[in-house]
Amino acid sequence: MDAAGRTVLVRPDHDLFTRGNQVTASDPVAARADDVWKVYGSGEAEVIALRGVSVTFQRGVFTAIMGPSGSGKSTLMHCLAGLDSVTRGEVHIGETRVTGLGDSGLTKLRRDKVGFIFQQFNLLPTLSAKENILLPLSIAGRKPDDAWFDTVIKTVALQDRLGHRPAQLSGGQQQRVACARALVARPEVIFADEPTGNLDSKSGADVLGFLRDSVKTYGQTIVMVTHDPVAASYADRVIFLADGAVVDELSDPTPDMVLDRMKRLDNPAEVAR
Amino acid sequence: MFRSMLRGLLTHKLRLALSALAVILGTMFMSGAFVAGDTFAQGFTALFSTVNRDIDVEVTAKDTSPGGQNAQLGTPTALLDQQDVDTVQKVDGVAKTTPGVYSAGARLIGSDGKVVGGNGPPQQGIAWQDQDPLIQLRQGRPPQAANEIAINQGLSTDSGFGLGQTANVITLEPPTPYTIVGIFGFPGDRPSLAGETTVAFTLAQAQRVLLNAPGKFTSIDVTAASGVSDDTLRDRIAAALPDDVVRTGAQVAEEQQSATSSFVNILKTGLVVFALIGMFTGAFLIFNTFSMLVAQRTRELALYRSFGASRGQVNRSVLLESVLLGLAASIVGLALGILVGYILNKALQAFIDASLPVSGVVVRAYAVLTTLAVGTAFTVVAALIPALRASRVPPIAAMRDAVTPDKPLTRLTVAGAVILAAGGLLLGLGVAHVGDLPTWLTLGIGAALTFLGVALLAPIISRPLTTAAGKAFAWSVPGRLGARNTGRNPRRTAVTAAALMIGVALATGAGVFAQSAKAGISNAFERDVNAQLAVTTSFSQGPGANAGFPPELEQTMAALPGVSAAVALRTDTVNLNGSDRFVLAGDAQAASTIFNLKPVAGNVRELDPGEVLLDQDTADALRLGVGDRVTMRTARAAPVTLDVVGIFKPNQAISSSLISSADAGGFRSPFAQQGFVQVANDSQVPQVRAELDRLFANNPEVTVNDQSQLIDQANSFVDILLGIVNTLLALTIIVAVLGVVNTLLLSVFERTRELGLIRAVGMSRAQVGRMITVESVLISVFGALLGIVIGVGLGVAIVKALGDEFLSLTVPWGYLLITLALAIVAGAIAAVLPAIRAARLNVLQAIAYE
Ligand SMILES: Nc1ncnc2c1ncn2[C@@H]1O[C@H](COP(=O)(O)OP(=O)(O)O)[C@@H](O)[C@H]1O
Ligand SMILES: [Mg+2]
Repeated sequence: MDAAGRTVLVRPDHDLFTRGNQVTASDPVAARADDVWKVYGSGEAEVIALRGVSVTFQRGVFTAIMGPSGSGKSTLMHCLAGLDSVTRGEVHIGETRVTGLGDSGLTKLRRDKVGFIFQQFNLLPTLSAKENILLPLSIAGRKPDDAWFDTVIKTVALQDRLGHRPAQLSGGQQQRVACARALVARPEVIFADEPTGNLDSKSGADVLGFLRDSVKTYGQTIVMVTHDPVAASYADRVIFLADGAVVDELSDPTPDMVLDRMKRLDNPAEVAR
Repeated sequence: MFRSMLRGLLTHKLRLALSALAVILGTMFMSGAFVAGDTFAQGFTALFSTVNRDIDVEVTAKDTSPGGQNAQLGTPTALLDQQDVDTVQKVDGVAKTTPGVYSAGARLIGSDGKVVGGNGPPQQGIAWQDQDPLIQLRQGRPPQAANEIAINQGLSTDSGFGLGQTANVITLEPPTPYTIVGIFGFPGDRPSLAGETTVAFTLAQAQRVLLNAPGKFTSIDVTAASGVSDDTLRDRIAAALPDDVVRTGAQVAEEQQSATSSFVNILKTGLVVFALIGMFTGAFLIFNTFSMLVAQRTRELALYRSFGASRGQVNRSVLLESVLLGLAASIVGLALGILVGYILNKALQAFIDASLPVSGVVVRAYAVLTTLAVGTAFTVVAALIPALRASRVPPIAAMRDAVTPDKPLTRLTVAGAVILAAGGLLLGLGVAHVGDLPTWLTLGIGAALTFLGVALLAPIISRPLTTAAGKAFAWSVPGRLGARNTGRNPRRTAVTAAALMIGVALATGAGVFAQSAKAGISNAFERDVNAQLAVTTSFSQGPGANAGFPPELEQTMAALPGVSAAVALRTDTVNLNGSDRFVLAGDAQAASTIFNLKPVAGNVRELDPGEVLLDQDTADALRLGVGDRVTMRTARAAPVTLDVVGIFKPNQAISSSLISSADAGGFRSPFAQQGFVQVANDSQVPQVRAELDRLFANNPEVTVNDQSQLIDQANSFVDILLGIVNTLLALTIIVAVLGVVNTLLLSVFERTRELGLIRAVGMSRAQVGRMITVESVLISVFGALLGIVIGVGLGVAIVKALGDEFLSLTVPWGYLLITLALAIVAGAIAAVLPAIRAARLNVLQAIAYE
């Protein structure tokens, strides 16, 4: 299934208009960063986490952001998702200009346009799996689409676990609940920060497979931060960050291809030779 | 890591500050009570030493009248005569004698027709003494004729009457006009000694209108010849007048002082009790804070794997921290308490209308030490309990679930049930008056155990309640989350709610008691007083206070058209067969009609002179029956022998024996103090009332009331008491609300990541605020509900224990609803600060937080 799945994917980066069987919006760009700089601190303690990053994420594409630790992956994702402000440049999600939004604008953005999957502690311990999945919709006061809910639940195979509390679920199940939560609201973009970082490889593969299928089958847009080449290989496209800048890009990656690029990033001297 | 530590420390600091605030409030209240009490008492000491400064020895007659010193009403009866003065004068070492007349019974009527000074400090009358060093003539001259008076500067200012003007003064005589010929003050340029009013008459007039005893004196002040000590002179005079009371000026001051200090001590004790209740409540808050601190520290230490050392270390650090916190907070509390004491002392003086000669505040060593010790002790004990408990938990377990301990509640519940049962049993015993302990002690311990038992049971009770609340809020996401959060840490929720429970329970208990008292009063009036109109007297205080109306008006009232029965009652303490008893004199026939007197033996009928109707309690106590004779000794007349013609069952209106007016000649006061008028036809009440008003028009101390006014007056007294109790309980409630704030801050701090998460999935700041508010309101309502339930129980127990004769058990539903509504408001207020903190959380930092 993995191999077959990947072969039918259409290259997203060169085909802006035909990608995604579910996409109906006129603008094919789900999220965009234009010359984004992010500087932490000042003077001696100044850290430039992002230096002029420009990147576009098309609708219905599963993008992985890779790079060595400290390269600015999380920072980029946070800036894209409106969780952090940028020092310079602009970020858009769909047609919304994220840069400059106030708290209520950002709240609305997160409510309507963005979904999150974090590495861990994704769920509220007092809510059942089902309540957690429906949380963003309830917060927004929106009615869930029952058919869509059933579809999502079936896809993540959580039918028997809906009434359970997070504490009664395994790590993999918890992440699947988090995926379902992100997906049920059908946001413009789902941002996932190391979603499988805390999972064993089997559970990780389940979650990644599910994410990829949601892109392929339902045209969901996903941006995933990872440092795991195998995880990155599930994506349609991989962006490589080093020292706060985009240094490379891969389409249709395989684990080996990703690993190879990573090695070169980790050891620039070797590349030069 | 550093940032989260810093944030932790800040949150931590705020919570420590809240705990400190609880201790500060408690100690402030306590030291305020001490300081106010001591300053107040010091004021009296200064006053009495001023008054007695120039007296070397004072002679008074021994008061052998029934009730003696305790009979505050009526004319002084322990008197001296010229012969006594002469005896003293002849004693070796006496330089000068000054016989004096004093009575608290000279009331000057102001231009508004009311008595100047009202129900304030004594309105005293004296005989002018030319050489009295205490009294300093400021204007005019001393009174020289019977219709002349001098008044003190304060009275002149208060009344607006000055030199040469004429004012009416009530004494044993009805209002009589006097010309003001002099105005005097006191040493130190004071217009009065302590806010009292003084009218000085000529000696003969004073003896007549204040004592009704020409030629008599109330005291002889003696000045010693030089070289004779006060004590020596006292002993010599005492030898010459063995039947009289001879004291040095210092002794007099001391005795006057001790009479007021017992009052001051009662006041102080009352305030300190409320301070302790507040501190007890604060202990819950400190307990919560330190539970959290201990858990944190245990985890940290476990992390640094020094298992062996960790227990002692945690305990030691907690001990040190709590001592420091308790001491620092107590010092601040003490400092504020001194300020409070100053204000409270001023308020007390204003309340009793006195201006005592003391400046600044009196801070005694015991006040400082007690405040610091109690404040620190409460803090340390409340802090050490969680530390000691935590040290029994293996560090690994502490590491795992210190944040949300979900230990089973079984042991807690069993302990709570046992303690609650014990408390209930004690309350029951108190109600049934079983056992040797005094009722108040049984009830007090029972109440304390009940609080403790319910506090222990609260975690288990909280579960179904929060579940139900969760369902009630299911329609709103913030509401549902808030409700769920309330149920997450049942122990902490319970401890927080239990703190609120204490104050609410006490306020509710007081409310039940007050309502029952009011109902009892109304019932008593309705059942036992068949009179539409009542004549009441405003009692002034002190020996010689004499307000009232001539008893002969009884016939006048009875003869008014439309009146079916009227009684004027005179009261005094007399001695019946050797036992001091309160008796009433008036028309027994009318009294029987009006007060529904039920005969137990003999007849309840019109009394002739020489007859008495005994109430059953007196008859039982003195073992008297119908046909027996009883000897009555009064303050002012020779003993008489009375025939017992009947015995009646005492009720709420009349619970003392009745004699005929003719036998009341020896009462201290020549006046009747109360009158009751029954009107045959309700439609005639206004007309009768108008007649009565006319009858008493010239007497500003007598008022005509209808029954509902009487009930209102009695009720307003109950309401004032309830208001005072609730005001004092406000301290406890404020501390408990601080506890709610504390717990919520703790929750916000612990749930930082969760808050970040829900913000990330789209929750707005306002929704987060609502979520916290729901949690806060639920905790508060939970506490209030527990408090209301226990409070009603306590109120019922107290009412039952005190007997429902004059209390008619009534639950004040409106009051309870208001309490509950206030709890909701308090919860919402408590949520403000934590909600702002939660809403202001930086989403990204919250998510990154671990
Ligand atoms: N809040 C912050 N304050 C200061 N420096 C930061 C902060 N967050 C991240 N950084 C720095 O920015 C750089 C990029 O961090 P990050 O985006 O977390 O990297 P990655 O996710 O690729 O490991 C790092 O050097 C990191 O130390
Ligand atoms: Mg990262």
